[in-house]
Amino acid sequence: MIRIVRSTVIDAPNDRVWAVLRDFNGHDRWHPAVATSAIERGQSADQLGCVRRFFLRDGSELRERLLTLSDLEQTFSYCLLDTPIPLFNYVAHVRLAPVTDGDRTFWEWRCSFSTRKGEEAEMTRMVGEDIYEAGFAAVRARLAASAGLEGRA
Amino acid sequence: MARVYVSSVINGRSDRVWARVRDFNGLPSWHPGIAESRIENGEPADKIGCVRDFRLRNGDRIREKLLGLSDFDLFCTYSILESPMGVANYVATLRLTPITDGDRTFVEWTAEFDCAPEREAELVSSIGSGVFQGGFDALKRHFGGDSR
Repeated sequence: MIRIVRSTVIDAPNDRVWAVLRDFNGHDRWHPAVATSAIERGQSADQLGCVRRFFLRDGSELRERLLTLSDLEQTFSYCLLDTPIPLFNYVAHVRLAPVTDGDRTFWEWRCSFSTRKGEEAEMTRMVGEDIYEAGFAAVRARLAASAGLEGRA
Repeated sequence: MARVYVSSVINGRSDRVWARVRDFNGLPSWHPGIAESRIENGEPADKIGCVRDFRLRNGDRIREKLLGLSDFDLFCTYSILESPMGVANYVATLRLTPITDGDRTFVEWTAEFDCAPEREAELVSSIGSGVFQGGFDALKRHFGGDSR
């Protein structure tokens, strides 16, 4: 079992970061790796158990199920159902917390999974860097840009 | 039930910050509000259930019991047995989480307690802004301030 944890601090209030992350179907609007996403069976993206079916920019098709969502704790969890990438028993958890000393946000993204023998290093790098760290950078840039727009308005 | 939540970012690796705050008898060595501390009955400071008897710089004396301590999850939970603060059922947790993006640590300090309704705002403020944030500010100074 491989475990990955990545965490960062975003220079924006946690409610603004949560507004971006909370939408289980919204990752195609902020994550650079995700091209399009749709919730199956016309369910709402905050319906526990809903499934998002999405395509990466390289054409890979994935399905993930929402396992938990808490507006109080600002956390959610999900698991991979189908993927052409060798990630097995992949379960991920996202947690936000306010940094009260400075009105910023702590964001932790963790998961566990197994993979094929020999692909551990590449899967570890791909999830940690291409998914989690790239996601941090994209949300940081998006919130900085929208703060800039507000500043000019 | 009143609740206090204060969090901050310390510019040091979580194992180094933990080494500084882990000792349940070590408040005087890192928290500027605490003058002296001892563990009752000569017990080790990491024996769950041990009691620290400490004195604040303003002279107040407080006795607290260690309820939980984890070197794996980096948290310490304790309750107040005796204090002049006028609180009941007071349980607090100090928790550290690594920030992998840079060698920093996310620190959270929470407390829940009961008190007279007219004293709640004052207690939440003195515990949160005074005791907890005061401790975080001291850690930030020790580890070189807050870096973004």
